[in-house]
Amino acid sequence: MTQELNPSELERSDEAPSAKRRWRLSRRGFLIGLGAAGASLAVGAYFGRPALHLFMAETLAASEHAGSSFMQLPEDPPLWLEVLPDSRVRLSMVKVEMGQGVHTSIAQIAVEELGISWDDLVVVQADTSSELSDGFGTGGSFSVATSYGPLRRAAAGMRSLLQKEAAAALKQPERALRVEGRGFALAEDQEQRVDFHRLAAGITDWELPEEEQLPLKAVDAFTVIGQSVARVDIPDKVTGRAKYGYDMRLPNMLYGAVARPPTLEATLRSASAGEAEGMPGVEQFVIDVEEGFAGVVANSRSAAWAAVQAMQTEWDEGHLWQQEEIEALIEPEGAGGVTIQREGNAAGVLGRGSAISATYQSPFAVQTPLEAPAALADVQEGQVNVWVSTQSQERAKGLIAEALGVEAETVRVVPTYLGGGFGSKLDTGVAIEAALLSKAVGAPVHVGWDRVEALRNGYLRPPTKNILTGALDDAGRMAAIEHRQGSSEVAFSFMPNFLAYVMGADFGATIGSRIEYDVPNRTVTAWRRKLPVWTGWWRGLGLFANTFAVESFVDELAAAAGADPLQFRLDHLPDSSSGRRMGAVLEAVAELSGWGTPAPAGRARGVACFISNTMVAQVAEISVDETSGEITVHDVACAVDCGLVVNPDGAKAQIEGNVMWGVGSTLIEQAFVKDGQLALNNFETYPLLTMREAPNVRSVLVDTGGETPFGMGEPPIGPVGAAVGNAFAAATGRRIRTLPMTPERVLEALAASGS
Amino acid sequence: MELKVNGTSYTLDAPDDERLLWALRDRLGLTGTKFGCGVGICGACTVHINGAAVRSCLMPLAAVAGSEIGTIEGLAETDGDDVIELHPVQQAFIDYQVPQCGWCMSGQIMQAASFLAQNPQPSVEDTARAMSGNYCRCGCYVRIRQAVQQAAAALAGAEEAAT
Repeated sequence: MTQELNPSELERSDEAPSAKRRWRLSRRGFLIGLGAAGASLAVGAYFGRPALHLFMAETLAASEHAGSSFMQLPEDPPLWLEVLPDSRVRLSMVKVEMGQGVHTSIAQIAVEELGISWDDLVVVQADTSSELSDGFGTGGSFSVATSYGPLRRAAAGMRSLLQKEAAAALKQPERALRVEGRGFALAEDQEQRVDFHRLAAGITDWELPEEEQLPLKAVDAFTVIGQSVARVDIPDKVTGRAKYGYDMRLPNMLYGAVARPPTLEATLRSASAGEAEGMPGVEQFVIDVEEGFAGVVANSRSAAWAAVQAMQTEWDEGHLWQQEEIEALIEPEGAGGVTIQREGNAAGVLGRGSAISATYQSPFAVQTPLEAPAALADVQEGQVNVWVSTQSQERAKGLIAEALGVEAETVRVVPTYLGGGFGSKLDTGVAIEAALLSKAVGAPVHVGWDRVEALRNGYLRPPTKNILTGALDDAGRMAAIEHRQGSSEVAFSFMPNFLAYVMGADFGATIGSRIEYDVPNRTVTAWRRKLPVWTGWWRGLGLFANTFAVESFVDELAAAAGADPLQFRLDHLPDSSSGRRMGAVLEAVAELSGWGTPAPAGRARGVACFISNTMVAQVAEISVDETSGEITVHDVACAVDCGLVVNPDGAKAQIEGNVMWGVGSTLIEQAFVKDGQLALNNFETYPLLTMREAPNVRSVLVDTGGETPFGMGEPPIGPVGAAVGNAFAAATGRRIRTLPMTPERVLEALAASGS
Repeated sequence: MELKVNGTSYTLDAPDDERLLWALRDRLGLTGTKFGCGVGICGACTVHINGAAVRSCLMPLAAVAGSEIGTIEGLAETDGDDVIELHPVQQAFIDYQVPQCGWCMSGQIMQAASFLAQNPQPSVEDTARAMSGNYCRCGCYVRIRQAVQQAAAALAGAEEAAT
């Protein structure tokens, strides 16, 4: 296996496009998302918006992928696969590699169905000039799940077509042939063989077999899928050779920097060179006050950064927001609540008896991948090339074309490796800046943000406030739960308004807020309030905060019932396939963690889980220093059922990374607004988890017979906060319901009377 | 200005106060050394100066002229583009499939290589302390810890074999 990256070929691709072949139209799956939206409009017209919104939320929860219609990838073999002159096969990757290992796991899918050896596949990142396009981008833990079916069919189709051709070339029946090296050979006489390239070169008009006749391998015959294949991108990542957006270079390249608004609502009033005039290395100032743009191009990055600081800019500040004002906005009450789940009559039950109520909160948080946003743009007449660390090259292409006022077809966006994404690199601002500066100066321009720019100028994870009220019946079972969830926009920041109208609740903000346990009366209502801070995608979206609330509350109900928290969860799983899968995962984590045996001296355990297509259960083992108020997370045991596992070691790496993210968000990470601006400077104001605080992570992948893969990059982040909080309650008898669990909050909780 | 990087001398026309990180990346094209924070907190820019792990984002060129500067590109034994033999830390990072996005990894590896040269038999606590100035946002800490311990064992084995 070799990894071939377009970004390292910095010359514009002048390779002649291979002769176009004719292909039958590929089959398209039924478009679930569009179907749901179409149907729901009718429902909405008939029943009114609340019913529409409930219907949409239920439909999304029931569908495999939110909005799967626009995530549909093509199945035409030549879009994915090409036979090289040496008869190796080249696989084009439309998904980007940001550390989640998809260039390897997706390659495994292709190799499996092609039947070739691992070393005979070459992986290349597709750029937007490829017909293999992906309107959604890379995120949402959808890469393997959405590539699996289409790529299997594309690869099996390719193999079948080549085999048919080989049969004709060798004058043998197809069934007598098998893949041997980089071609087909007669099974009984390997001397009779023909290479892939000779087969492919002669073909101009192929017909794909019908879906039923595609020779797909049986899942239990897989030999590549399900193996811990070594990642294709790692060798270049330990030798410094891997190229990211920040590393892109062209001859005669210049460096750009752009002035940043001093406050959240600031608008540019005037800008000029000011004291930057004549500074060494400065090439050109680029100012468009109407567009709010004031930038500079220089011959070194240091010179560009120094010059932009010295430029004269005046801003209208707008309202100087304070943190308390923003927190008041996300109260889950009053107008605008959208009910996203309703069964039975929770309000009726809760109004009758003694109810338990608790409020959970989480703060703003920043994705802050260690590679800050970066792009290189080369804008020439009729052709724009942009290399960028992006999770959505198609979105970048459209926005760059719009900003430059050129046709989208003239813009080619080349995704590089990403030095982390975590949702933040669906933003493309840096690529637009580089393009505008390159256009103005007439040379390639690289823009790389510094850390302070990166912390303040992207979108954040919105704060949340979740109020849960519940009641037990006489047998100690959960009889009713009402969940009121307040937050801001996550997905809706990036979606057209009409979709927000149709959907009502922002699925990105509400993910994890449904009550999936078997509770006869349950209602979940979400409030989405626009904030003066840009909020959006973050690893797991609202999953981390909502699961913290729901799974902490379930623990509180278990305590009220006097039940073992793990058994309590098992006792409330729905009698369904997902209930049984979750049960198996909970039992696996019980075994892995030694649940039911005493924890080591001074430590306590807490359990939490998340029910979705991917099932996750975790047990955190912690200790609390009652003098300093520090919580130490020693060990997190995690069991996951993510359906069919393509690369077990890669899946485990995702579990480990998610646990670290979860622990960081549980103990450390928080951002504030102060005097109209995010109070974020550099990492001293937003420290990250280090190896010293990093727990040991043990994981197990539970096989419940899933035949398709589900997401793995985000679900394991869900339960971490609740597992730690539940362990804290087990250790101290107290609860911390506001994240992060800082030493101050710990000492406060320990000093308070009662829980 | 004369810089000696990975055994090669370069003459640069750069300001004395330019930070080593940008000279390496933008003037010499050695982009394996990464920018993370620019203030010496995250460790992504770690290089070796006369063998010691140093944050290149803070280091003015004038302060390192004449020193032996080592970057990730010079850590393995190479012949042109061919890697002859990886440093034991690099090998361990492959063996444990450590990197995810990889952006911090040059810094992690340079930090670990320098640390192990000074402390060949570290305890797990020693390793955590020595590596705690290197952020990994993907959260590869479990594997970094394991890989550094394995590299220590490999280095000790090599030492033993040599004596």
